[in-house]
Amino acid sequence: MARLTSAQTRGQLAAITALRWQLFLHSLRSLGGRLEMVSRIFSFAGFGIMGFGGAVGAGFGAWAFVSQGRAEQIAFLVWPILLFWQLFPVMASAFSENVDFSNLLRLPLSFRSYALVRIVFGASNPSTLVGALWLLGLVVGVSIARPMLFPLAFLTCVLFALFNLFLSRAIFSWVERWLATRRAREILGVVFLLFVISLQFIGPLANHFSGARRFPLEHILLQVLPFERLLPPGIVAASLARAAEGQVVLTLGALLILAAWTLAALWLLIVRLAAQYSGENLSEASARPFASVARKSGVEIGWNLPLLPGRVAAMLEKEFHYLSRSGPVLFTLVMPVVVLLIFRFTPARSGHDESFLLRAPDFAFPVGAAYAVLILTNILYNAFGADGGGVQLFFLLPVRFREILVAKNIAYAFLLAIEMCLVWIGTALIFRPPAPGVTVATLAGVLFAYLVNAAAGNLMSLVSPKKFDTAVLGRQRLPTTTVLASLAIQAAVVGLGALVFLLSLHWANLWTAALLLLALAAFAFIGYLYSLRAADRIAFSRREALLTALTRA
Amino acid sequence: MDAPAISTRALTRTFGSLVAVQDMNLDVAPGQFFGFLGPNGAGKSTTIKMLTGLLAPTSGSISILGIDLAADPIEIKRQIGVVPEGMALFGRLTGAEYLNFVGRMYGLDRVTAAQRAAELLDFMQLDDQPKTLVTDYSHGMQKKLALAAAVIHGPRILFLDEPFEGVDAIASGTLKSMLQRMIARGATIFLTSHVLEIVERLCSHVAIINRGRLVAQGSLEELRAGVAAQSQAALASADPSLANAEQPLVPGEKLTLEQIFLRIVGGSRTVDQELSWLG
Repeated sequence: MARLTSAQTRGQLAAITALRWQLFLHSLRSLGGRLEMVSRIFSFAGFGIMGFGGAVGAGFGAWAFVSQGRAEQIAFLVWPILLFWQLFPVMASAFSENVDFSNLLRLPLSFRSYALVRIVFGASNPSTLVGALWLLGLVVGVSIARPMLFPLAFLTCVLFALFNLFLSRAIFSWVERWLATRRAREILGVVFLLFVISLQFIGPLANHFSGARRFPLEHILLQVLPFERLLPPGIVAASLARAAEGQVVLTLGALLILAAWTLAALWLLIVRLAAQYSGENLSEASARPFASVARKSGVEIGWNLPLLPGRVAAMLEKEFHYLSRSGPVLFTLVMPVVVLLIFRFTPARSGHDESFLLRAPDFAFPVGAAYAVLILTNILYNAFGADGGGVQLFFLLPVRFREILVAKNIAYAFLLAIEMCLVWIGTALIFRPPAPGVTVATLAGVLFAYLVNAAAGNLMSLVSPKKFDTAVLGRQRLPTTTVLASLAIQAAVVGLGALVFLLSLHWANLWTAALLLLALAAFAFIGYLYSLRAADRIAFSRREALLTALTRA
Repeated sequence: MDAPAISTRALTRTFGSLVAVQDMNLDVAPGQFFGFLGPNGAGKSTTIKMLTGLLAPTSGSISILGIDLAADPIEIKRQIGVVPEGMALFGRLTGAEYLNFVGRMYGLDRVTAAQRAAELLDFMQLDDQPKTLVTDYSHGMQKKLALAAAVIHGPRILFLDEPFEGVDAIASGTLKSMLQRMIARGATIFLTSHVLEIVERLCSHVAIINRGRLVAQGSLEELRAGVAAQSQAALASADPSLANAEQPLVPGEKLTLEQIFLRIVGGSRTVDQELSWLG
């Protein structure tokens, strides 16, 4: 086939843009799609506020640094922008949309068009919006302090923005390559989780050791500083500082290094895109090992759970099989204990040698328990997400949805019970064993919180479902509607719990808190029963939307 | 007289302004191997989804084994087995776990469910990869597993949506022999397929849907006779609309199902409809 003319290429790009627009319009046809749209407007408004607030801060900081002749320290503003731009899409996947453009490969799209589409559409996420606004603020701040620096500040920030854009896309593309097989996804998911957890400890440990004058932080920082100046944030700062000093050659040199970094990030991305464009196949089938040895069929008699009806027991067994194969979900079991460790090493306010929980260890168990409830939100509020297309079976089986939900809720309650044991033991080892009153009041609070969340989660699971993969880190993204709903419910539950604890402190009797929370749990149980009763009706009336949302690829 | 295995009256389903199925009156007698045919987009999958409770009809009624689907869906689901379009599998279970789970959800006791799961895995030749998760199965293996799950409780009616799609010749032979044995034991099978040769070989009765309307229904012989009568009428008539550009029947010629299908839905295209720009 002859090479595409530029008019044809433009036509293709226009068609892809029109396709995205049509997809967006079609998504508004369903109630769930409209709710998702409203939720996205709210979340983008939040990011807008975050962007403008940060831009004002960055602008003020840049103005101050340049005015005071300390332009080099602009690096302190640029590093957070880089970290946010690169880490936010990974850490908060709920707010980032990763569009799969692999279908475009069957069309006669030129590589340039393909790369452009991947970069432009891939970049349309909150981190780009917020990062760009922060950089804009920085440009404005520098320009107000030294108007002559505006062209250079603008050019530097545009280069830095492009660097971030290319790097974030390159990271995603390479991660996608590394996670091509299920096993690799699971292993790397856990490794990444370990990395994220280890990041949480940097601050607390640095504080802890620097207080004891044992950790040579300043020495290390001084060693690292020369290298920092070779990295893009350091170069942005150096470029502005040299320009402020009137050193043209050094300024241009810094700009050239920044451009080289940008090209390097682009090259990293292009290498991946070129592989995809040439028809690289990352499907599961190509990586599947061939089982050469015939073995017995592996059928075992199902679990015998005497107190539960057979169907609920079977469903429960299935849920445990799923959970046991979900590395990231299981790994989050240890997170509440990790949070307690972080609190153990983090001073609550400057000027205090001891952390907040060391001074008030009675709060350690409630804090860990509250966190344990919080991390169950993803699976509670999207109970059918992991089932995917399997949800069809629930509509074909002679079983009521309330039975399915009860089994799922029991499985999650069992997880929570394990969490509570871990948190109690963790609290006892890290701080001190929780007092009986604290233990009972906290468990009553957890019961209340779990019932409220289970009731709301059951309904949201049916009203706003989304297919997700429990085996892969970052693939448990909830619909934005559900995220906002669950946040509101968590706020209400935590508020009520805090009120009860404050009242009990006022009366100096924690057992009162336990009684009040048990009373609240009784009310929540009524709500939970209502959610079960409503489940069959909602599932029946929303079966088409539910099946569409969970069976789509 | 036994109640029909499947019966619909004025069954209609619309999606907005699109009428996917219109006023369908379908009757399938117990013990029939029933093929449900139609061109793409004719309404086959919509119909099978409504018959199995995956989709609500806009109007009309469905009765399975004499029970109204809307009145007692749970009892009907006990009696039927379904291989739906999406196969309804749980990817993160092994084949054995999945069959065990489905068996118990259909109310089998633990031991029976395990025994039948083992037998089905052996029968479907899926027992050599006990640790492999369903998500890592090939498409054909998933299809066999879905079929095994649909029959684990010994259903009286089996609904199959394109059961042979993506299945290799060996597995296809296994499935066909299993389905024929089920028919011999009195079960009713309702299947959709685009492979007309398979339908012709397996099915005793056929219905054809076109643009949402049921346009033919009966045994293969009845359909042949109907098409022959129509052809005779076209020859005898001067009305060119009756002779829908098909070759007239040669006396004594036995039409294949494909020929019957094309004559009924008017699927043949004349030479001048070809795409002249196509190299």
